[in-house]
Amino acid sequence: MTATRTGTSQRVVTTRSARANAHIGRHAQTIAIAVVLVVLLIFFAFSADRFATTGNILNLLRQIAPTLVVATAMTFVISTSGIDLSVGSTVALSGSLLAIVLQHGWNPTLALVAILALGALIGFVNGWFSSYQNIPPFIVTLAMLSIMRGTALRATEGYSTPIDGELWIVQIGQGRIAGVPVPAILAVIIALVGWLVLTRTPFGRYVIGLGSNGESLRRAGVNTRKVGLTVYVLTGLAAAVAGVLIATRLSSGSSNAGSGFELEVITAVVLGGTSLFGGRASMLGTILGALTLGVIANGLVLLHVSPFYVQIVQGGILLLAIFANSKVWAKFGAIRK
Amino acid sequence: MRDIRKRYGMVDALRGPTLRVGPGEVVGLVGDNAAGKSTLMKVLAGAVVPDSGEIVFDGRPVAFASPKDARELGIEMVYQDLALCDDIDVAGNLFLGREPRKAGGMMLDLSKMHADARRHLDALNIRIPLTDIPVGGLSGGQRQAVAIARAVTFGPKLLILDEPTAALAVAEVETVLELIKTVSAQDVSVILITHRLQDLFRVCDRLCVMYEGTVRADLDARNTSLERLVSEIVAHDEGEKEGERR
Repeated sequence: MTATRTGTSQRVVTTRSARANAHIGRHAQTIAIAVVLVVLLIFFAFSADRFATTGNILNLLRQIAPTLVVATAMTFVISTSGIDLSVGSTVALSGSLLAIVLQHGWNPTLALVAILALGALIGFVNGWFSSYQNIPPFIVTLAMLSIMRGTALRATEGYSTPIDGELWIVQIGQGRIAGVPVPAILAVIIALVGWLVLTRTPFGRYVIGLGSNGESLRRAGVNTRKVGLTVYVLTGLAAAVAGVLIATRLSSGSSNAGSGFELEVITAVVLGGTSLFGGRASMLGTILGALTLGVIANGLVLLHVSPFYVQIVQGGILLLAIFANSKVWAKFGAIRK
Repeated sequence: MRDIRKRYGMVDALRGPTLRVGPGEVVGLVGDNAAGKSTLMKVLAGAVVPDSGEIVFDGRPVAFASPKDARELGIEMVYQDLALCDDIDVAGNLFLGREPRKAGGMMLDLSKMHADARRHLDALNIRIPLTDIPVGGLSGGQRQAVAIARAVTFGPKLLILDEPTAALAVAEVETVLELIKTVSAQDVSVILITHRLQDLFRVCDRLCVMYEGTVRADLDARNTSLERLVSEIVAHDEGEKEGERR
C-alpha cells in the first residue's frame, strides 16, 4: 500500500517565501557587514586624502593579514560553539621563539616548520582539554593565554629579538609578488581554503553539526571529540603563522606582540555573522569582518585620530555585533537560538 | 521471517517482556509512564545492554554491545528529541555522517547529495520541496519526517519511533502517520511508541501494552476498541488480580 498525497499533507509544504526567509536569514548579516564596509570605504575615501591609494590599500591588506589568517581558523572554533582566547599569546610566543632560534643559527626552513609544529601542539593541548576532558574552552584557553604569554616573556626576558634581514624567511613578512605583499596573498589563500573546507568538505559539515547539535552528530557515528580537537589545532597553527608573519614583517620577535589580538580576531568573526553559540558560520563574513576592522583602524590613523581610540572602537563594535547577532538577526526565519 | 523476541529475568525496569514483530508489521507499544517502553526499545536499539534475555533477529539470536551493532543489523531508532542539526540543510541532515564524497573522499559531493535526498524524500512521499534549507526553518512535522527519512535511508529492517507525533499540529500528525504507512509498505517493520492512542488505530497492525516492565497484552489493532486499550493500560488493579488468580 502506498500512501496517498492527501490535501492535509500538502498544507505543510514549505513555501517560496519560507525559502526566501531562510536564505535571507542565513545571509542577512553577511550582507549587512558588506554594506557597512562599503559605507566605511566611501567615507574614508572622501575624508582621508591618502586612504584610497593603491599603496595604502596594499598596506591595509598586509596589516590585516595576521588577523584574517587566525580569524579563518577561529571561524571553525566558534562554529563548534567554542572559543580560543590563547591565539594572541601564541602569536607572541611563536614570533619570539622564531627570532631566538634564528639567532642561534637554525636553518630558517627548519625554524619555520618547528614554530608551526609548536603552534599545532599548543592547539592540541587546548583541544584535548576542551574536547576530550569537557572543560569549558573559555577557561582552558584563558589559562593557555597566561601560560604562553609568560613563556614568551621568560624566553625573551622581555626584550625584542632582531631577525637578520638577509634570511629568506623575512620575505614572508616583507616580500611582494607583483607588487602585492606576500602576507596579503597568504592570508587570502588561507581564507579561501578555509571557505572551501567549511562549506565543501565533510569536516566543515561536522564542525557546523557539532555547534548545532553535537549529540545528533555523535549518534550519526561521527567522532565528535576528534572534530572538536582539530579546530583548536587549526587556531594554534594559524596563530603560529600569524606570529611568523608579524615577526618577519617587523624583523623582530617580541613577547609583547599580539596583545589584544584575540579580541580583534573574535570581533572579526562575530562581525561577519558567525554565531558565538555555534552552528552558524560565514567565512565570507569573517573576511569582510576582518577587512572592516582593518579599514576602521587604518582610516582613523589617516584621519589623525589618536590610535588609542582604535581599541575603544573595536570593543564597541564587538558589543554591537554580538547584540545584533542575538537580537536583530535572530528575528529572521530559520534561526532558533 | 523476522521475529524479535526478548526475555530477561527479574530486572526492575523490565520484568521479562516478550515482544514479537513480523516483517512490514506496525506494532504500537503503549503503556503508562515508567512502564518500560523506552528502556525496552533502547535495549532493542543497542543503547542499553540487558542483564539477561535474548533477542532473535531474522531467526538468529543476536547481542548488541552498542547502537552501532544494532544499526549494522538494520535496526534504526528515531529518538524523541529528533536528533537533527537545525543549522544544516535537509539533504545534509539526511546524510549526516555518511555524506556522498568526491575527489578521493576529500570533498562533499553536494549535487549528488541533493539529488539523492530528493529521491529519498519522493520515495517516501515527503512533501519538502527544497532540500537546501536548514531544518531549523521547517515545521515540526517536516522535521520529524526528515528524522524518519534519515533513519529509513540506512535501509533498516526495523524502525523504532519514540513519540514521533508528540508536540505536532493535527495536519503534521497526518504527515507522519502517512509516512509510517509508506515505510511499512516497503517491508520495514515499525515499532511505534506513543501516548496518542487514536494514532495507533490508524497505522498499527498490533498493539502491545506494557505495564510495570512486562508486556501485559498483545492485541490485534483491527478488532480492539479504544476503551479496551485504555482499560488495559490503566486498569491495573484488575490486572493484578488476574495475575494473582493465574
